[in-house]
Amino acid sequence: MHLAWLELSQFRSYENLRFEPDPGINVLVGRNGAGKTNILEAVGYLSMLKSFRRTPDAALIRSGEERAIIRGGFGDGDSEVDIAVEIPAAGRRQVMVNGKRPSRLSDVAITAPVVAFLPDDLDLVKRGPALRREYLDDLGAQLVPTVGADQREFEKSLRQRNSLLRQDGRNADPMSLDVWDVRIAESGARVLVNRLRLLGRLCNRLTDAYGTVGGESRDLLRPIYTSSWVTVGEITEGLEPDFEILASALLKALEERRTRDMETRSTSAGPHRDDPGFLLDDRDVRVRASQGEQRSVALSLRIAAYQLLDDRHGRPPILLLDDVFSELDPGRAEGVTGLLPHGQVLVTSARDDEVPEMGRRWRVREGILK
Amino acid sequence: MFEPPVQRLVDELARLPGVGRKSAQRLAFHILHIEEADAERLGNAIIDLRKEVRLCSRCFNITADEECSICRDLRRDPTSVCVVERAQDISVLERTQEFRGRYHVLGGAISPIAGVGPDQLRMRELVARLEAESVSEVIVATNPTVEGDTTALYIARLLKPLGVKVSRLASGLPVGGDLDYADEITLGRALSGRKEL
Repeated sequence: MHLAWLELSQFRSYENLRFEPDPGINVLVGRNGAGKTNILEAVGYLSMLKSFRRTPDAALIRSGEERAIIRGGFGDGDSEVDIAVEIPAAGRRQVMVNGKRPSRLSDVAITAPVVAFLPDDLDLVKRGPALRREYLDDLGAQLVPTVGADQREFEKSLRQRNSLLRQDGRNADPMSLDVWDVRIAESGARVLVNRLRLLGRLCNRLTDAYGTVGGESRDLLRPIYTSSWVTVGEITEGLEPDFEILASALLKALEERRTRDMETRSTSAGPHRDDPGFLLDDRDVRVRASQGEQRSVALSLRIAAYQLLDDRHGRPPILLLDDVFSELDPGRAEGVTGLLPHGQVLVTSARDDEVPEMGRRWRVREGILK
Repeated sequence: MFEPPVQRLVDELARLPGVGRKSAQRLAFHILHIEEADAERLGNAIIDLRKEVRLCSRCFNITADEECSICRDLRRDPTSVCVVERAQDISVLERTQEFRGRYHVLGGAISPIAGVGPDQLRMRELVARLEAESVSEVIVATNPTVEGDTTALYIARLLKPLGVKVSRLASGLPVGGDLDYADEITLGRALSGRKEL
């Protein structure tokens, strides 16, 4: 699957743009602020239906305009899928696949899978658990459509329970809470099953990837999973978690913490509060690894995601490399490019000489020039 | 802005669900150009609808009388009640001709975000009917959404202690379709709700 064409209208800095990248490697060169990352962001948006910079939708619209439109054609030889998103300043966003509204949004992430390496990927490893949960959930949704649907169902149930607690607090109707607890336990356990299954499939790939980009280090990189409501044991390749056990553990935790939840008016147990992490041998990467090691772990996470998507769909995902070569020493840069062959790549760089000599070069100014 | 009488109609039409600004204008100008008798018939139909139609005192279905035609039908089994979110769901179920009991319209589904709790729905009325009509089975036919499923669960919890059999519509495969065309979520539901043969 590759991006055959991209059209932007009133998106970020672009009034109108049509871009037809090569199916191979494309290097976008331009000074800072020229709009290179905006193009990558638009491609990522068509796949994940959100900005990888975590920008709220309204801020993606060119200032003073009423709506932004992103359209792209994704092909794999004979067929082409046309994905279009209209983001209005006020009102609902519209997503169209081949001119029709898709029956489920979770199918879009499967249609055109994208992996992005970003300058702030280090935060994935260094900062709080929210980014790591998002990494797992996004990757899961790109692999299996039901995973995205499970997440949406859990989030919806959680919003409903929290809304009930916010409105009624200590006076919340116990039987209403009972039924929301059941819904959260079931959908939340499904989210955790999906995450643990995914970690089980990432295990060996993470170890291998770290072996390549980790330089001299012989330490073993492996995932761990910390949760306040259930004890997750060691995560091994091919892990198959038990849904029933997790669902009853979550239901029990919700019941035990009900009084507290009614006081705080929020839900304290569930996968939305869990912390997926990583160990180098026995050191927690977040607090007991050097900056260099953390950077290698972040790279390994993206590489493993890329390989998993390639395996799963039988064709490589589209690779977005946003200004990552400026952060890497040449040896690591080669390690990365060596592990990620044969698909379509969009690379941005501020300097012409930073990126290894390869692919087609595009100069980015106000529009796009070859 | 149009002349006030036109603008007034455009504004009213645009408040209807599924009708935007443009469609409202098109409709208003269409009505402006049709025969006066046709326009009057349309106007009267709307007025009569509100005047003559009310809710069934038993099941809250739409009716022109005190009770709806289903509740008045003596051949229908009063011990079996099918619970739906909205009155329009009844006509869909009726077309199947599979259900011979009566209905109960809740008026929505539980959704704290939308400010709808059990008290905003006709739950109490449902419980009151159980004894009055010696209902032995309740079939919950709420939508297969997070809110609809939760409402079904709530009804089950509410009625089970009262010794009533509560069941939920099965969700599964479309009849006559191929397995490969079913989406994964529907198929997953169908699997977990499978029946022994």
